[in-house]
Amino acid sequence: MTVTAASGFRAEVAAALSEGWQARSLYAAADSQSVRIALTAPDGRTRIEAVAVGPDGAVPSIADLAPAMGWDEREAHDLHGIRFTGHEPMRPLLNHAAPLADWTVPVRGHDPYQVAVGPVHAGVIESGHFRFHVVGDRILHLDARLFYKHRGLERAAEGMAVAPALAVVSRACAACAVANGVAYATAAEQALGLRPAPQLARARTLLLELERVWNHLNDIAAVCAGVGMAAGNAWFLALTERARRLNASLTGHRFLFGSVQVGGSTLTLDADAAGRCASELAGLHAAAETGWRELAFNASFQDRLGGVGVVDAAACTRLGIVGPAARAAGLAEDARTASPYPGYDGFLPVTPVTAAGDVRDRLGQRMPELRQAFGILDRLLDQGPVSPATAVAGDAARPAGIGLAESPRGATSCIIERAGDAVRRVRLRTASYANWPAVAHAAAGSLLPDFPLINKSFELCYACADR
Amino acid sequence: MLTMLRDLRRLRRDLALPRPDRARSLAIRHVDAGSCNGCEHELTLVSGPHYDLQRFGLSVVASPRHADVLLVTGTVTTRMRGPLLTAYHAMPEPRKVAALGNCALGCDVIGTAESLAGPVSDILPVDLLIPGCPPAPDQIARALLNLIDGDPPAG
Repeated sequence: MTVTAASGFRAEVAAALSEGWQARSLYAAADSQSVRIALTAPDGRTRIEAVAVGPDGAVPSIADLAPAMGWDEREAHDLHGIRFTGHEPMRPLLNHAAPLADWTVPVRGHDPYQVAVGPVHAGVIESGHFRFHVVGDRILHLDARLFYKHRGLERAAEGMAVAPALAVVSRACAACAVANGVAYATAAEQALGLRPAPQLARARTLLLELERVWNHLNDIAAVCAGVGMAAGNAWFLALTERARRLNASLTGHRFLFGSVQVGGSTLTLDADAAGRCASELAGLHAAAETGWRELAFNASFQDRLGGVGVVDAAACTRLGIVGPAARAAGLAEDARTASPYPGYDGFLPVTPVTAAGDVRDRLGQRMPELRQAFGILDRLLDQGPVSPATAVAGDAARPAGIGLAESPRGATSCIIERAGDAVRRVRLRTASYANWPAVAHAAAGSLLPDFPLINKSFELCYACADR
Repeated sequence: MLTMLRDLRRLRRDLALPRPDRARSLAIRHVDAGSCNGCEHELTLVSGPHYDLQRFGLSVVASPRHADVLLVTGTVTTRMRGPLLTAYHAMPEPRKVAALGNCALGCDVIGTAESLAGPVSDILPVDLLIPGCPPAPDQIARALLNLIDGDPPAG
């Protein structure tokens, strides 16, 4: 990590971005005396640049160079009191005491009015507040106020030993527990000078893809619910239940909690269990294909999806959108392509021919990705029993590590800075955090009654954005 | 579409879920006060074909005004304390509060003191505790059925 003077920081970041590096995470150091930015290269290389906070409490903003870091700067402002020169207006992100005018965009014109929704929603949904600026049914603009569920998880990890602190990021979110855990474990192992032995890496790939399977099944059910199609919803909820039962039979937990650890894995599948798992996955795959065909040929269902909630490739690139949402717009972006883990060799992200970035393409992304996940799982299970595994010595230990994992919602990064064996700072930037701005972007211009559908087509977690 | 409906009917027959023995109902309003989303995902499946709690008259309703029981997940964050109390006070009496999941019960909570207001029982009178991390759909279903079929809690 190099600490740059304020004057050189923007030039440094601009040069890195022009060389193809991608800004992954921007955060304040634990002592609030400097700001760091983590960058990754397409080939998997990582680096962290730091800039010291000036005597005026400010650092130069880079949100104009990398708009994806806009939320990160707002977070560092609200939680660490750092000012970002050039980030105007600095809207609150976590500061809920700020008045309405501070965090909403002024909307003027003929008859616009506001519709306030949440934080408590009408169904079984996480807490968050949406403020729609509308004329009639047409949404002009959406201001989302999240972070109702901020629990201070990153702060709680500070001072804990590196290995057990993984619990903190796992608890950030049940739906992405494995991906968050793998991102953390990868970062921790890099910092501690370890790397996963092939068997450990194989166990993690299995867990990551099992998590993708239940999530994608759940997401298809959610879109069906978003248009009120009860049969499709019931079908894919039944498959989600089967996938969770499979998780429980393999790891003792329906959400695979506790299956990812720093420096090791306890996942054990004898030949019998691996065979049973492969056969249940084949059954799930067949049933998912049946349901998918039914949805594909249901005209009144398909009719609701096209052209709704568009986030095109240019918007995805600008906003730093990741995962199925970015791929649905035609960006072949996937953390698995640069992953050193087995099962991902030669992995190629799928993108739709239409690449419209609308609800249809985001939903349409789920089934091909499920097929890939089933394929990877099948190949890995075919390699025989899975036994407990450990990490081995890797490169030299470092004060900080970066881990990247492709969660069901996209690339999730985790950065750990350590002091000896203790966590000095951890930053978890999940795919949901990256993608929430896309929900607001997709809502603008859409109809208010389509918002549940648009929201479900992303199916983001509030929990792992809020932390 | 017909294939899907036929197969769903077959799934339902194969599951052979018991019929309710008497007509009762319970309207539930869920409030996420700071969960990890695990309780929500399991609660969603309680309405799925494998459990189908609606057959016992249990339903998740859109407004606290229509609710008999407030089902709270997560440790209450400082930012959710106000909305949780608003939802509770919007409910007609008699009303009950159920805490769903270990975090809501105050077990093994992770977070900082300034971000968390405490377990649900610090904020509201709790009538039913449903432990688990997260409790599986059948555990949630059994606990909620107890609330209508079991002995009424003291007070």
